[in-house]
Amino acid sequence: MKEQKCIHQWTMINVRPGFIITENCFKCHKTSCYFSFDEKPPLEEYRDGEHFWNVMQSAQTFRFELECTCCHIIVPYDELLGLMMCTGCDENCKVDHLRKELEKERTWVYVAYGFLPMNEVKRLDQEKIENLEEYFNQRRKTSKSKIKIVSYEMISNIENCYAEVIKDVGLLSLKATEQ
Amino acid sequence: MKLQEIIDRLALNVLTVIDERDVSGVFISDMLSDVMSSAQPGNLWLTVQSHKNIVSAANLVDISAVVVTYNKKVPEDTIELANRFHVIILSSPLSTFELATKLVEAGIK
Repeated sequence: MKEQKCIHQWTMINVRPGFIITENCFKCHKTSCYFSFDEKPPLEEYRDGEHFWNVMQSAQTFRFELECTCCHIIVPYDELLGLMMCTGCDENCKVDHLRKELEKERTWVYVAYGFLPMNEVKRLDQEKIENLEEYFNQRRKTSKSKIKIVSYEMISNIENCYAEVIKDVGLLSLKATEQ
Repeated sequence: MKLQEIIDRLALNVLTVIDERDVSGVFISDMLSDVMSSAQPGNLWLTVQSHKNIVSAANLVDISAVVVTYNKKVPEDTIELANRFHVIILSSPLSTFELATKLVEAGIK
């Protein structure tokens, strides 16, 4: 008998706070980023083989997994650095074409991006991106709009991309206005 | 409860184009990652953040409206982006705690 395919109903589990550290080697100018569970983001420069890494930015974020409440499959998202919303900065970009097409039906386009350098780290596969999109659309099922998530590999030129990144930077410097 | 009713009862300032929406619950956090992990569609999101990436976080989970507390100035580019993506931004001179108290008194939980 053919096994029935589960129609996954996702829930977010194992939400763990941490930091995304972006660093740059002042010798070869390579940029790299990684996730840290440390209580405070590391700030010191250090040497690793030929590289001399300096911290450029740290952003508060979290790691999570998705679990299907029906079949209990668990999908980790260790390769996901974050999500950003396409705002249409480059009319030659495929993501912008998709945004224009989907905006008519109130579907907003988000880009799932991974760690740097892009060609040296494991990338988020298409199935995981689809699962993440399903999760957010299931969570907003009472809504009149939807979201579409695509891979950052679809962006024409990521260095010139002005999508709105969902990240928490510089929160420690926030002050309420004086009354 | 209807968003317009909340705006009227709490004298909230409307900074963007608004439409008719329901509000179901309140979410309080100044971290976008919290919104991504825990906010629910239809929530009223109380925050002191006013950078334009609040629009991308609010839109992802379909927040009913963002309320910027302490009368913090919301930059023009944030308002412009919010209008493009139908995200409603309101503001209040009250602190987040005072506003949350008034929301509870109004019957929103």
